[in-house]
Amino acid sequence: MTIDVDRCNGCGACMVACSVENNVPPAHEGATDRKGLTWIRVYKVDNGEEYPNRRTAFVPVMCQHCGNETPCVHVCPQQAVDVDPATGVVGEMPQRCLGCRYCMAACPYHARYFNWWDPAWPAGMEKTLNPDVSTRMRGVVEKCNLCHGRWHAAKEQAAAAGKPDTEPVSYVPACVEACPTGAIHFGDLNDSSSAMAKEAAEPESFRLLEKLNTQPKIYYRSKKDWVRGIAAAPRPGSGKENGRG
Amino acid sequence: MKTTRREIMMFAGGSAVGVLFTPAPWRLITDTALWSENWPGVPVPARGEIRAKYTNCSLCPAGCAVRARCVGDQPVALAGVSGHPLSHGALCPFGLAGHHLPYLPSRVKQGPVKEAAAAVAEGIAKCGPAEYVVTLDLRPARTASWTYRRAMAAVKNGRYVTPSVDSSVAVDLAKARTVLSFGVPVLDGWGTPGNVIAARPGFRLIQADPVESRTATMADQWLRIRPGSEDALAQGLASTVTHAAAAEASGLAESEIAALAARLEQNGPVLVLGSSRLESTGRTVVARRETPVPTEWHKAAPVSGLASLPDGSVRVLMVDESAPGEYLPWNAIQKKLVADNPVVVALAWSREGYARHAQYVLPVGVYPEVVGDIPPAVDSVAATFRLSVPLVPAPESCVKPEEFVAAAAGLSIADTLHERADAIYKTGRGALFTCADAKSAALKDVSAADFWKALNAGGCWIDAPDEKAPAARFSAAAAEARPVEESELPFVVVLNRELTPASPILSKVYQESNLRLAPNTVALHPSCGLEDGTQAVFETLLGKCPVRVTLDAGVPAGVVRVTASPAVLDLCAAGARAKVVRA
Repeated sequence: MTIDVDRCNGCGACMVACSVENNVPPAHEGATDRKGLTWIRVYKVDNGEEYPNRRTAFVPVMCQHCGNETPCVHVCPQQAVDVDPATGVVGEMPQRCLGCRYCMAACPYHARYFNWWDPAWPAGMEKTLNPDVSTRMRGVVEKCNLCHGRWHAAKEQAAAAGKPDTEPVSYVPACVEACPTGAIHFGDLNDSSSAMAKEAAEPESFRLLEKLNTQPKIYYRSKKDWVRGIAAAPRPGSGKENGRG
Repeated sequence: MKTTRREIMMFAGGSAVGVLFTPAPWRLITDTALWSENWPGVPVPARGEIRAKYTNCSLCPAGCAVRARCVGDQPVALAGVSGHPLSHGALCPFGLAGHHLPYLPSRVKQGPVKEAAAAVAEGIAKCGPAEYVVTLDLRPARTASWTYRRAMAAVKNGRYVTPSVDSSVAVDLAKARTVLSFGVPVLDGWGTPGNVIAARPGFRLIQADPVESRTATMADQWLRIRPGSEDALAQGLASTVTHAAAAEASGLAESEIAALAARLEQNGPVLVLGSSRLESTGRTVVARRETPVPTEWHKAAPVSGLASLPDGSVRVLMVDESAPGEYLPWNAIQKKLVADNPVVVALAWSREGYARHAQYVLPVGVYPEVVGDIPPAVDSVAATFRLSVPLVPAPESCVKPEEFVAAAAGLSIADTLHERADAIYKTGRGALFTCADAKSAALKDVSAADFWKALNAGGCWIDAPDEKAPAARFSAAAAEARPVEESELPFVVVLNRELTPASPILSKVYQESNLRLAPNTVALHPSCGLEDGTQAVFETLLGKCPVRVTLDAGVPAGVVRVTASPAVLDLCAAGARAKVVRA
């Protein structure tokens, strides 16, 4: 996946679309930005200057689907996390999770979220749940899985059409579909001829916390040097965010 | 050998330690996770045939095209329609969760319909010669709006009032080389977002904004001006005041204003938004042809503004809040009501707006329960006609606002949307876009029956270009009386626009991430002396309301940014003064 930070306008459409697609419940009244469930979260980052030198950008962050020594896979005592060898997608099995949150401690991107409360929708709204995605209860960790439900549906369609497998580009995650500016692109990183793979290879592309060598599969793009500097920060966010640790 | 109690205890202890080295207890822990995942109380999504339906979103004037993924007849996800000529596949966060709105706990579901109808009839009968029966329509130019105008024409002393009378003026973004915006959220929900994004590469955006709004962040140039100085800056650029005077008022450097004026001169055509003190150039603002209506509908009350009504003259007021639009502060409306027992009816699906003030609150259907047309957006140069098609049925207790008002006026109406579609079809102009195949066809190549069928499947009629459309200008906004400056009210108010009420899933961008400024939240500079997350009271000369504080370095000191919910708009307008104190 590539995300063009210069195109992201921070509208949050990706966050809403992701929650609708993956049956993520609305916030409990006690939820804050530390205890919320946001499989994809858009951070507002700035260069720390005052006007007129102040510059701001929006950076969507979800599970980076680390390819090297995937930290959450190593620490999970329940084998509830795995890396699909075919796609490289880091999958989460909430049914196996016992909620120790070891994976949350291990994740350098803070991209995993714990269900502090039982999921609750206003009466009647449970009719709007997506049947392709299971709901989770409190006490388990969940995260982005690049819309596994859509991938399964694409595989079934391919099988029904007699094709041996699905091409990744035959489906897009909900965030890609919802982004109004076209900032998020999805495709096969191994297909060097694909537009997305070419974008990932461009000099203005970078990944978050590259020095950790987790080999994330989410590439960010920006022409602005200060944005690339943010990628080396422990967690994207304004000074206010970092101030709360 | 006799087994002692000690040996039994040793065996039990040893077994307990030993079993920990076997997979058994860990597998049992895994199994408890499996058992607990199936506890009742965790909702199970319904299953059924997956279908796609098409409609148009009526949550805001953009009217973006929507593809609904339905399980049986129940929408479970909404998305934009790729290739749509107006919305270009975009859908905002509010539109993406629009299918949740029928289930909002706070929606109005019951109301005294018969009592309200009787009170309105009595009020109309009692109406004196200098008194009026008024329908306030928050979203004009719809087919329902024409019904209100016809109804008010049929009632003695009927008046049709809207917040804005500029519905026939449109902006042509494609012609603009520079867009100068005075606080208009051009890149954050203004116009048709998909159209703005598509046109964005073609113009340079200069945003004059007191705070670092999303539009200011994405603009090519952000001018951080003092709140309330938009007109002064515009006058400076128009040379009706000196650059020095404009600099004094706005806080910008005189050289900056001079450079901007030169830039506008050299990089036209310039589209100016948010101030009528500076004119747009190059036909970037044009008069738009009206979407056709049946000829007999023209016997209708004219469109008026609230200011046209004398104070204390409104005997009966019916407010259509079914389609969200510009909110007029209640105190501005209240002073127009007669002193003795005015009748105020709010036709609303939410209790957040005029339902807080009305005597009678009648429930109406909410998107996506009701059928209605969506007028062309401000950035649509051509007239359009598209329907918001129901995806789920409305509760039986809901009334249809146009039927209520028509009945009150004794006006008989039938299938007005079909009548209007027929009137459009008769012109033979324009093209029909159908969502399912993302294709356009000339209207003259489509039969009348197919035209109506396509509209009911989310299709869109777009008028032929009017090459002779004259340049136009927006009306000047009425000058607002600002409260006298009070030293005890240290903050200047800057308003933030969000669609309210919205699905609870919008908590993702509100409390769960602080990405957007939630309703009932104020943003202050970190130097304000309050902590982030403090429960506080937002107070103006007109009253107070509870809020939560969030700190934002993009808001300058001395400014409070607040989301413009009806409760806030009843307390203040942009540029008013306020204080925020710990609760």
